[in-house]
Amino acid sequence: MSESLLSIKNLSVEFKTELGKVNALNEVSFDVPRNSITAVVGESGSGKSVTSNAILRLLPDTAQISGEIILNPQGEDPLNITSLDERDPRMQNLRGGLVSMVFQEPMTALSPVHRIGDQVAEAVLCHRDVSPEVAMAEAATMLEQVGLTEVDKKIRMYPFEFSGGMRQRVVIAMALICHPQLLICDEPTTALDVTIQAEILVLIKSLQRKLNNSVLFITHDLGVVAQIADRVVVMYDGQVMESGSVRQVLKNPQHPYTRHLLASIPGAVTDSGSQLHAANWSDGAPIGAGTFLADAEEGRQVREFSQ
Amino acid sequence: MSEILTVTDLCKSFSDQPVVNSVSFGVRESTTLGIVGESGSGKTTLVRSILRAIDPDSGTVRYNSRKGWQDLHSLSPKELLPLRREIQMIFQDPFASLNPRMTVQAILEEPLIIHGIGDKESRKQRVAAMLEKVQLEPSSASRFPHAFSGGQRQRIGIARALILEPRLVICDESVSALDVSVQAQILDLLASLQSELGLTYLFVAHDLRVVREFCDEVLVMYAGNVVEQGPVEEVFNNPQHDYTRLLLSAIPSPDPDEKLEPLARDGLQLEKV
Repeated sequence: MSESLLSIKNLSVEFKTELGKVNALNEVSFDVPRNSITAVVGESGSGKSVTSNAILRLLPDTAQISGEIILNPQGEDPLNITSLDERDPRMQNLRGGLVSMVFQEPMTALSPVHRIGDQVAEAVLCHRDVSPEVAMAEAATMLEQVGLTEVDKKIRMYPFEFSGGMRQRVVIAMALICHPQLLICDEPTTALDVTIQAEILVLIKSLQRKLNNSVLFITHDLGVVAQIADRVVVMYDGQVMESGSVRQVLKNPQHPYTRHLLASIPGAVTDSGSQLHAANWSDGAPIGAGTFLADAEEGRQVREFSQ
Repeated sequence: MSEILTVTDLCKSFSDQPVVNSVSFGVRESTTLGIVGESGSGKTTLVRSILRAIDPDSGTVRYNSRKGWQDLHSLSPKELLPLRREIQMIFQDPFASLNPRMTVQAILEEPLIIHGIGDKESRKQRVAAMLEKVQLEPSSASRFPHAFSGGQRQRIGIARALILEPRLVICDESVSALDVSVQAQILDLLASLQSELGLTYLFVAHDLRVVREFCDEVLVMYAGNVVEQGPVEEVFNNPQHDYTRLLLSAIPSPDPDEKLEPLARDGLQLEKV
């Protein structure tokens, strides 16, 4: 049981496009330990989402994947996700069973024409052989756990009757209802207000402690990383720049890009007035300067152009 | 410095639900006023009724134009047109706010055509000069929005707003959709354009970190009411209203030793400070 829940080794992903091959991930390696929250941080185009989609094998057919993604679920045989056949029965168990995902947009992640309760219960019915009544009862319990009140009434409501924060709670309930060992959160708070974001971060963290699962948390905000994660992986242009414990990486960043990301955070401050002087760390990588960053901007442009 | 915009007792309701409730404030020329609050607090309705994109129920909006003070709400659409040149808007979503079927040249030229400025050749020059100002390649003019990244698209949106040489620019969550690193670049650009052109910004945001860094004064809105206003440092260092404290407590600090402990929302009072 000493090995990590998820182990990514030399993962490379290439997309075939009209303009040739585009390298989205380049020899990415990192581990997600058990019972902890690992954050992947980077800007758009850095490969964060490609990494998380690769774990669930959600990449399009144009993607060529090499390397290994090994999942070591508790009480089950290890699973090499990259070599699984699309029609392998274990795929169904992987998606939503062992690993599930909370998406960025709570508005689009829910179906507008189905009741909240049905949408949450659907995941149970897909993965376990239970009656609809049992599934619905479990859905209600889960919705209570994510902090909804008056659940009896809410399970009969539709997503449009919910605020953004409530919708994101529903999406989290959907993801957690089959007790996945790994929960992937892909920018779950980016579309939310800062106050709602704080509530959702506190919720994800407390549920992780309670359910003893692992969370892979994708974000571009190092402030969010500092508050939620135990470990952090800094990605840039499809490569891992730096990884380690949150304290180690944020308090003593080794890579210029990490310093650049820290410097990008607008002057954060707390009640005590103790300001984190992130800007002092930016000596290595001034904003928008340096060949390093200029190249990336171009690279991203080409990538978007080719999609 | 003199005021450029004075808003007095502005009210707007939608189906008897007050969305903006008796809001008053003033903005001094060449400064930035931040408007913060959560979704539903009335920020967007407030700025849209200043622009007269929607008509408020009551209250006055007085604007100090190049030709002197004007009451924006007593003007006819025709009288308003020259003022629209002076007040421009930069939108939130860099994807939705640009027409995908127009080239950048056409997007930037359109405001000039509407206001009857220049001929074809001089407009072309203006567009080229504007692109340079927002640090985009001259070759961008012939391309379509899909060829650009989010940050670059936001630069196009800024160029479109500034090409008419406005004096007051309303930024409605203009950096919210961007990554922190791209956001920092756009804020830098907005700040340098402000000092170069003497612009006044009305800066709507829900991220207090951005407001603190970027604005001179701040207006905190909650449920359609202004609960606190003043110079940014004063409001942030010594918040008077519970809601401001709640907003401040929700900021995730990049220091892992400063734990995120958002204050409870219960019992929040609505009285003005």
